[in-house]
Amino acid sequence: MIVLGSTSEVAQAFVEKALQEGEKFEKIYLFTSNKETAERFARHIDVKFVQQSEIIELDLTREIDYTTFDNINSNVLFCATGYLGEGTEEGLYDNKNTEKIIHINYSKLVPVMNYFAQKFESRRSGTIIGLSSVAGDRGRQSNFIYGSAKAAFTAYLSGLRNYLFDKKVHVLTIKPGFMATKMTEGLPLNPKLTATPKQAATCIYKAYKKQKNVAYVLPIWAVIMMIIRNIPEFIFKKLKL
Amino acid sequence: MKPNFIQKVTNWGNFPVVEKEMKSEDSFRKIKEFVLNHNEVIARGNGRCYGDASLGEHIFSTKKLNKFISFDRLNGIIECESGVLLSEVLEISVPQGYFLYVTPGTKFVSVGGAIASDVHGKNHHAEGCFSEYVIEFKLMNESGDIMTCSREENSDKFWATIGGMGLTGIILTAKFKLKNIESAYIRQESIKAENLDEIFRLFDESESWTYTVAWIDCLQKGKDIGRSILMRGEHAFQHELPDHLKKNPLRLKGKFEPTVPFYFPNFVLNSLTVKIFNLLYYKKQAKKEVKNFIDYETFFYPLDAVHEWNRIYGKSGFIQYQMVIPKETGKEGMKKILETIAHSGNGSFLAVLKLFGKNNPQAYNSFPVEGYTLALDFKVNSKLKKLVDKLDEIVQEFGGRIYLTKDSMSRSSLTNYLKNIQNPKFVSLQHKRIINNN
Ligand SMILES: Cc1cc2nc3c(=O)[nH]c(=O)nc-3n(C[C@H](O)[C@H](O)[C@H](O)COP(=O)(O)OP(=O)(O)OC[C@H]3O[C@@H](n4cnc5c(N)ncnc54)[C@H](O)[C@@H]3O)c2cc1C
Repeated sequence: MIVLGSTSEVAQAFVEKALQEGEKFEKIYLFTSNKETAERFARHIDVKFVQQSEIIELDLTREIDYTTFDNINSNVLFCATGYLGEGTEEGLYDNKNTEKIIHINYSKLVPVMNYFAQKFESRRSGTIIGLSSVAGDRGRQSNFIYGSAKAAFTAYLSGLRNYLFDKKVHVLTIKPGFMATKMTEGLPLNPKLTATPKQAATCIYKAYKKQKNVAYVLPIWAVIMMIIRNIPEFIFKKLKL
Repeated sequence: MKPNFIQKVTNWGNFPVVEKEMKSEDSFRKIKEFVLNHNEVIARGNGRCYGDASLGEHIFSTKKLNKFISFDRLNGIIECESGVLLSEVLEISVPQGYFLYVTPGTKFVSVGGAIASDVHGKNHHAEGCFSEYVIEFKLMNESGDIMTCSREENSDKFWATIGGMGLTGIILTAKFKLKNIESAYIRQESIKAENLDEIFRLFDESESWTYTVAWIDCLQKGKDIGRSILMRGEHAFQHELPDHLKKNPLRLKGKFEPTVPFYFPNFVLNSLTVKIFNLLYYKKQAKKEVKNFIDYETFFYPLDAVHEWNRIYGKSGFIQYQMVIPKETGKEGMKKILETIAHSGNGSFLAVLKLFGKNNPQAYNSFPVEGYTLALDFKVNSKLKKLVDKLDEIVQEFGGRIYLTKDSMSRSSLTNYLKNIQNPKFVSLQHKRIINNN
């Protein structure tokens, strides 16, 4: 398995879930910009599941040397890379913030995904799982830079799914709503709308096994987002969301 | 939305409830920042202590220190971060033929919490406390430095931290030994005792057993005082097991684990219901003596089978009162305690009696000393403080002490026994309460 954003709690919970379910991987490739945390996880899965892994540094804000990925082969690509950045209030007119959000969530990420997608395509097998966000379902005033990058990522995954369909590669888009992770720690989230990384992993694993196309982590979010998407623009623009 | 880390926090007894800052980090660098930027920090594991021991002004939760580091499968030595739960250790060790040397009555405690309380199990008389099997741990001190502590290295900090209730710093990782087992099952004998004399006699007779414990029906009066069931057990060897368990001796089948869905209303638990429960519990076993094989979960963690059972005590919560009375006068003391409880009518759902063996004098902050220990649950109500005071009086008279990890209202003369922990950086609400003497 190839894991992009391997220090994300959801990514780690997903890896553990898969191993618990008895999935076997020759090696797990842990891509990360935070080596220390990835190393903790690598030791952890070795102790728990006798699972070999390799850590590969990837910093999406820098130049990427693709030749170092040459020997990496796998049947599953899990992408949990993401960057929330500052919201509109603090960060809209801060170009550094805007660029970083766009790079990590979309522009620099997609070529990396494509690199592996090509390998999957040539082998005519595999699954690509991408974590997008409900924030990409409609731009809202509070965090639309992040939302727009995720919207682009969602569109990318949907196109990729379509393109790879007859090449026997499956693409799964996951849209988590609120999640209790580092990203949201200390925020007053409604517990009914918030999934733990473990819950999210269970749901993603199910969707993976069932070859779903798009899955919301908590079903309630599918309903919420359907409503939000369908509010007429002339009303929506007046709302404080 | 700016993060706000102030939240309602409470431990297993749901008493007291406080609103304090609680934060969790997984990088040592960030933990150091937290320690340096705050006064009055206290570590919190899984909140399975009953009272205010892991509550403080600025709580550092080890929830995110949840990774394993190494497992020497040949020698049964495991190393992990301090927030790893004993249940998680068992999950990987049991199938490999290893068990914890010492485990408390719930597996949902963290390794850090097990060291900080130096927990004991049903085998204290035979195998001592958790610390006996700890090889080393890493401790973050008040300057944010990480010290490796063992019997050889920084041994003063090692011993002060064991049973030191988090007052010496934050345990980050720990390395400890596991014991070999051939099966995940326990060969158990349970024997009914009519009264206190009989149960004490049974304990003495069972000294060669690794695990012993008794459940007492503490509402009995007069000649029936101390009516109880003694349970003793050994890890079963593979060849002893009944045939259907022999094939896969280290694997348990999945079990259904119910959860208590909400706090029970106040009227559910009163002296009548407790009486009925205890009667049923005692009568459930019809024969004087039962021998069987049971899985380790049922033997060690009967209460874990019902998640969040603490909610049956209602929103006002409950306390656990656990004392030890030295051996010489222990029986007499126990009798007085049980009489006092029976007369108070403030019945305890669950009363557990154990015999402690000799303590390790080096682990001077550990709670156990050779003698009798009794643990009782009481619902928090307006009469409780008075009862606790009466019980404290008896414990004092007999030269006993109270287990800090269960304490939330006992008098400080029984709880102020820790040494070498004075450190203005690491302060718990419990410690403040004890030194302020109220
Ligand atoms: C059902 C039940 C049965 C129990 N049975 C037993 C028993 O048989 N024997 C027994 O001995 N105990 C028993 N206990 C008590 C329990 O074992 C202890 O309270 C244990 O310390 C709880 O661990 P925790 O991880 O939940 O720690 P917490 O409750 O969060 O903290 C307990 C103490 O440890 C300190 N601490 C926690 N983590 C760290 C760390 N990383 N560094 C420094 N200090 C730390 C805290 O400051 C606090 O003082 C039982 C508890 C329950 C709920």
